[in-house]
Amino acid sequence: MSEIKPAEVKDASGEERDWAAAKVFFDNLKSKRPRPPKSCYAVTIAVSSRTLFDMTMERKIYEDQGLEKYVEYQQQHEDEPLKPGAAFPFVKALMTVNVKLRQLYPDSEELFDIVLMTNNHAQVGVRLINSINHYDLTIERFCMTGGKSPTGYLKAYMTNLYLSKDSEKVQEAIEEGIAAATMFTPDMEIQLSDTQLRVAFDGDAVLFSDESEIIVKQHGLDTFFEHEKANENKPLAQGPLKCFLEALGKLQRKFYAKNERLHCPIRTYLVTARSAASSGARVLKTLRSWGLEIDEAIFLAGAPKGPLLQKIRPHIFFDDQMFHIEGAKELGTIAAHVPYGIGQKYHKGQLIEKTGKTK
Amino acid sequence: MDAEIVVNTDIKQKDSRHALVIAIEHCAFFDQNGDWEPKSSNTASEVLSHGPAISFIKAIQRVNHKLMEKNPNETFLFDVILICNNQIPENQSKIVTSAKHYGLEISRFCFCNDASFTNSMLSNNVKLFLSTNRDDIVKTQERGLPAALLCKQVAQEAVDQLKFLFIGDSLGIPEDLKGEMFNVNQPHSLQITQASLKELVAVIGQMRSKFGQDDSPLRTCLVTLWSPRDVCVRALKTFRDWGMEVEEAYCLAGTPPSAILAQIQPHVLCGDGLYHMRDVAALS
Repeated sequence: MSEIKPAEVKDASGEERDWAAAKVFFDNLKSKRPRPPKSCYAVTIAVSSRTLFDMTMERKIYEDQGLEKYVEYQQQHEDEPLKPGAAFPFVKALMTVNVKLRQLYPDSEELFDIVLMTNNHAQVGVRLINSINHYDLTIERFCMTGGKSPTGYLKAYMTNLYLSKDSEKVQEAIEEGIAAATMFTPDMEIQLSDTQLRVAFDGDAVLFSDESEIIVKQHGLDTFFEHEKANENKPLAQGPLKCFLEALGKLQRKFYAKNERLHCPIRTYLVTARSAASSGARVLKTLRSWGLEIDEAIFLAGAPKGPLLQKIRPHIFFDDQMFHIEGAKELGTIAAHVPYGIGQKYHKGQLIEKTGKTK
Repeated sequence: MDAEIVVNTDIKQKDSRHALVIAIEHCAFFDQNGDWEPKSSNTASEVLSHGPAISFIKAIQRVNHKLMEKNPNETFLFDVILICNNQIPENQSKIVTSAKHYGLEISRFCFCNDASFTNSMLSNNVKLFLSTNRDDIVKTQERGLPAALLCKQVAQEAVDQLKFLFIGDSLGIPEDLKGEMFNVNQPHSLQITQASLKELVAVIGQMRSKFGQDDSPLRTCLVTLWSPRDVCVRALKTFRDWGMEVEEAYCLAGTPPSAILAQIQPHVLCGDGLYHMRDVAALS
């Protein structure tokens, strides 16, 4: 079993039989699209309907006129494809990586698997699938709960990362131990790579726990620097997105094994407000102790993240602080908020925003 | 030997011309290891105390209640009968006593033998047969009567809504591929099963349409186990054409189903006549 997913072998031979039957069935249908990978080996990304597509207008109908009118509206416009949403470029980039993985490893099930995870009514789902068909997205699996919260289904679909517009659902997922983030649509559109998936992560409270952030917030920067230097060789605890970085690393190594390091279609970035000199070593040493690599580590020493992210052009950027999310989206970066840790108590007016005070 | 019908005098009989009659096999009232001896030496009244049928009947009662709230003279209600192929008189009376003891709204008890099993149901205007015995379900489906699995509920809250889950893989397959995909013997029995499924779906859809989007005591769901997305959508549209707009839809495309089914928590799991439940390890 792959290390990406925990091994749950309750009825292994039964599952193997089912999988074999599923493969035969799928292949017999002669679909032009590739068969989706075996869930336990895949890196599963669950996207909500509102992150995959732009449903602002439809959402307004739901809020103003209620569920019945909303479902009716969607059914009437069933054949009109929706416009792309915030997670759309990310999904396209995942598909590009899959194409290359399939070329190098035609029999492997270690691929990205994209699941549409929505609490929409199944009748609305027809329009969603029609839209997926329109853009020819490789999304074969979906879960439409008709109003119930989808978070209970995340584990059942073996989700590695969940993206939604609803921060409550995202929080529930994180509390269940599933990497998740709330997506924001950038204020302007910038050109992204269509040959390389780029994923940028903040460090504290995203890849790592919020233990160091607590020190900054409660005791100030100087104490923080001392603490980090003193604990340089003690790895930080894991944060909610660590496992996702790990999953990306596993797929990257498949390209390295085929001599594709220079042209690897996955690139990862650490974009942290930490400063390299005073608090950077601990971060790099922690990653090393976990056996994880990150392609580029950028230490901003408190400088704003927006302009740098504009240069990197990631398909998604994860951060725990709304201040950074807002800065990123203003300059066109697709930002995803990770509602975890002490940073949540400090946004929306209560943030300590004086320059030099942030890490 | 004909079937023997015992009427439950404790409850008001439904109008069988208009009611949606559902027959539940006696084994659904017991645990998996259900046997005829009560758990304690105490009582015959404990016979019907376990098994998935209880939460199902409670959910049915809630639907009927809501229908009567809207229209006190409503005749299009669920009508539950118990069917049993055990004709030992003491066991029969144990069952009847037990049902009355628990206040279960079972209007009639039908005691028959293996030979008259399906005919008894047909003559009682049964529209759906529910059981925990997969062989009986398949046999009944093959005779043209819709049959489905009664599922064990895990969580307590599940009693709120009566949930039907339909497996739709074969329904969504394009016609031209059906011939290729199925072996020689299957197409005929498949046609019979699907024809009866269509009838059932129409009737459930009719019942469901009596309620609005919010707060319905009845809920319908579709799952495809092995098919790609377009097959699932085609099945969804087929159900829509037959008169039922499912609210939940799950396209698994090979994901192991057991965890997902445990989340959905249906009361009734209705196979599509093609891949019977015993063929899917996770469902057995």
